[in-house]
Amino acid sequence: MRAHLVACVVLALPASAASAQQAAVAPTGQPIEPEAPPRSEAGVPAIEATPGASAPFSASANPILRVPVSGLHPGNVSFAPNIANPLARESQAVTRGMQDFNQFNCVGCHAPNAGGGMGPALSEGRFIYGSSPANLFLSIYQGRPNGMPAWGEILPESTIWELVAYVESIAHPPSPTFGRTISRTPPSPAVEQTPAEFLQTAKPWSFTSRFSNGRQPVGE
Amino acid sequence: MRVWMLFLALSVALGSGAARADDLATLSKDPKQWVMPARDYASTRFSPLDQINASNVGKLQAAWMFSVGTQHGQEAAPLIIGDTMYVESSYPNKVFALDSTTGDLKWTYIPNTNRAAQGVACCDVVTRGIAYDGGKIFLVTLDDHAVALDAKTGKELWATQTGEINLGETTTAAPFVVKGKVFVGISGGELGVRGRITALDENTGKIDYIAYSTGPDKDTLIGPDFKPFYDFMKGKDLGVSTWPPGAWKIGGGTMWGWFSYDPDLNLLYYGTSNPGPWNSNQRPGDNLWTTTVFARDPDTGAAHWAYQFNPHDLWDHDEIQENVLVDLDLDGKTRKVLLHPGRNGYMYVIDRQSGEVISADPYDTVNAYKGVDLKSGRIIPNEELKPDLNRNVRNVCPASPGAKDWQPTAWSPRTHLLYVPHQHLCMNYMTSDVGYIAGTPYVGATVDMFAGPGGYRGEFMAWDPVQRKKVWSIKENMPVWSGALVTAGDVAFYGTMDRWFKAVDAKDGKVLWQFHLGSGTIGQPVAYEGSDGQQYVAILTGVGGWPGVVANAQVDPRVRNGALGFTGATQDLPSYTQGGGELVVFSIPKQEAAAPSTPQRNP
Repeated sequence: MRAHLVACVVLALPASAASAQQAAVAPTGQPIEPEAPPRSEAGVPAIEATPGASAPFSASANPILRVPVSGLHPGNVSFAPNIANPLARESQAVTRGMQDFNQFNCVGCHAPNAGGGMGPALSEGRFIYGSSPANLFLSIYQGRPNGMPAWGEILPESTIWELVAYVESIAHPPSPTFGRTISRTPPSPAVEQTPAEFLQTAKPWSFTSRFSNGRQPVGE
Repeated sequence: MRVWMLFLALSVALGSGAARADDLATLSKDPKQWVMPARDYASTRFSPLDQINASNVGKLQAAWMFSVGTQHGQEAAPLIIGDTMYVESSYPNKVFALDSTTGDLKWTYIPNTNRAAQGVACCDVVTRGIAYDGGKIFLVTLDDHAVALDAKTGKELWATQTGEINLGETTTAAPFVVKGKVFVGISGGELGVRGRITALDENTGKIDYIAYSTGPDKDTLIGPDFKPFYDFMKGKDLGVSTWPPGAWKIGGGTMWGWFSYDPDLNLLYYGTSNPGPWNSNQRPGDNLWTTTVFARDPDTGAAHWAYQFNPHDLWDHDEIQENVLVDLDLDGKTRKVLLHPGRNGYMYVIDRQSGEVISADPYDTVNAYKGVDLKSGRIIPNEELKPDLNRNVRNVCPASPGAKDWQPTAWSPRTHLLYVPHQHLCMNYMTSDVGYIAGTPYVGATVDMFAGPGGYRGEFMAWDPVQRKKVWSIKENMPVWSGALVTAGDVAFYGTMDRWFKAVDAKDGKVLWQFHLGSGTIGQPVAYEGSDGQQYVAILTGVGGWPGVVANAQVDPRVRNGALGFTGATQDLPSYTQGGGELVVFSIPKQEAAAPSTPQRNP
C-alpha cells in the first residue's frame, strides 16, 4: 500500500519536467495506471463486490454504499450512515489535503481556495452532491457525471480523506444565510478573500477585505 | 436525376477551380446571406446591406426571438442561407433551423454530447459557430465530434470523432470549409493538449489529414514549401528542439479560434494557442509552433510560412484570433496583408504572402513587452516582469486573456477601419510547478485580473491600419467579449456583458441606438435580408465564456483567483446579468422604414 501511495505522489510531483513527462505522456497521455487496486486504509469498507466477484454482493454490508446523494427518500424513510472522516483528528490532514489539492490538479478546475471555474466553487459551502464527509469522499472517489473525474483508481483512500478535510476547512464563508443577495447598491457581497497570490492558507475565510468590484485587490 | 448528378460531379471535377453556383466564395458575395461565421473567407464580417444605416438605425426594433434553451455562454454566429437561419447553442450543441423572416422553427438537431466533456472545457462550454457548404451544415460538439447535417431536413449525414475528452480535448472553434474539406480545431491549451487542425472530407467525414502545431516536421507538415520570413523559425524539427525533451507532446498550441482563406494565393490562415503549462519555467525554449500564425495549402496541409508572435510565451497570450485579409496601400504600393489584433496587445499588419511583419503597434496598455523588433521579428519581453517560480509578479498588462481574445473584429471596405471589441485588464501572476495528469488542467499559475489604468474593463474602437492609430474609442465598463459587425449603412454593432446591444456610427463612434437584452452578450452579430426584402440584424445573447462563468455557473465572486483569475476582473458581473441563451432579431418596422426621412432622434 505504501508503495502505491508513493507511486501516486511521484506521478504528480512536477519539479523535474522529465518525471512529469515520463509519468504522463507515455505515449499519448494514456490514463495513469495504478500499481495496485486501491484498498481501504481508513477503516471504511472498500467497495469491492462487483458482478462476477466471489463475495456475494450486499449493499447493506457496506455502509458507504448507503450514503444517499439525493435529498429525497421515498416513503419518507431516510437513512444516512454516520461516517466520520477517519483523519478528522489528525492535525496535519488539512495541510496535506491542501498540498494534494495542488498536486493532483484539483486547483486547476476548482481554482485556488476553490472559488470555482471549470468545476464548481467549493468555497461557498454549497455542494451539489451532498456536504457530509462521506458525500465529499464519494464525489471524489466516483466522480460525477457533469465533469468531475473519478479519482478512486489513482488516489489512495487516505489522500481522498485528506482532500475531504481540506475542502471542509475552506468551505465556511462568513455569516451564511439561507439565500444570497446580489446588488451593486448597497454592495453585496460586501467582502472578498485575500487572493492566493498574496496568501496561501487553509483558512481563507479568515482573511477578507472589502469587495473590490473588479478593481485591483488590496493585497497583503 | 442520377445522370444529372453524375454530370454535376464531372463538371465540378473537370472545372479545375471553376466556381460552382453555390460555391462559398460566390455565396458570400450575395449581400442577403451570411454563409460562414466571418461572412466571407477574408473574415471581414462586413455586410453589404445598407437599408439600416446611420440615419435610421435609431428606429430599430425587436422583430422576433428564439430561446436556444441553455444557460451557458453563447458565442456562436447565426448563419443565413437562402431563407433559413441556422444557429447552434452552447453545450450540448443543439442546432436549430429557423425561417429567417418569421422565426418559425423548421428543425432541431440534438447531438448526444457526452456531459463529462463539461469537466475538461477550460472556459465555459461555448461553441463559436457552424459552417455550411453544398447543402450541408457542419457542427462540432464539445466532446469532439464533427457532424454533417442535411441543411434542408436536419438529418444527420455523418459524425466523426476528432478528439478525446480523456486527454483533455474539447472542440469549440467553428468549423471552416474550403474546397470540399471541413477544417476543425481542438481546444485544451490549459490541459496539455497537443494542438492541431483536422481536415475532413465534407461528403464522407473521413479524415483527410492532421496538421499538428508541435512535434517533428512530418507532423507539422513542414516541408520544402516552407519559407518563414524570419531566421528564428528556420531549421529542422523546431517543433521538437525548442522544447525540453518530450514536452511538445503535452505542449498546447491548440486551435480554438478562426480560419481565413485567400482563394487567389490558395492559402489557409489560422493561429495557435498558448504553450502548456502556463508556468513558463517548466518549458525553456521558444516552444514552436505555439502562439503562431500558419499559412498552409488547404489541399495538402503543407505549411508555406509561419510567424510566432510570442516565443516562450510567459502570460498565456494565445494567438488564435482572426486574421483579416485585406489589401492595403502602404508606401505607394498595394500589399496583400492580414490584420491580426494580437492578444499580446499589438496590432499586426503582416504580408500574407511572405509572413513579413510590416508593422506592430500597441492598441491597449502594454507593459509585458517593450515592442516588436521588426528586424528579427521577435517580440521583446519586459525582463523586469519575468515570472520566476513562485514570484507574485504584480500589475502585468495586458492580462492573460490579452488586449483581445477570441472576439472577432470587423473590417469596412468603405471606411477602411477595423472595428475592434476588446478588454482592458491587468493582473497579478504567480507561477508554480505543475504535474501532467492526462485529462486534468496543466496550468501552474495563480492569476488575479483587474481593470486596467482608468478603471474601465473594455473598449470598442476603430483602428486605421495604414495610419497605425486608433480613430475613435468607446470605453466600456465590462470587457467587450462580443464580436463586431459593420455594414454598408456605415453602422457598427456590438454587444456588452452588461446586456446592451449597441449600434454606433462607423465613422465617428457616436452611439446611435442601444437595447437592453435579456442577458449579457458575448455572441457575434450578423446582418441579412429576409424573404420580405427587409434587412435584419441578429445577435445570440447569453452571458458566459471565460469572463462570464461567474454569472452563469457556481463560481464564487469573492474568490478572485477563480476561473483562471478572471473572477477578479468580473466579480460584479452577477449584479448586471445572469445566463440565458436567446436569439434576438431586429429590424425597422415597415411603416417606419417607408416614412419620409425625418431628423434623427438618438436615444
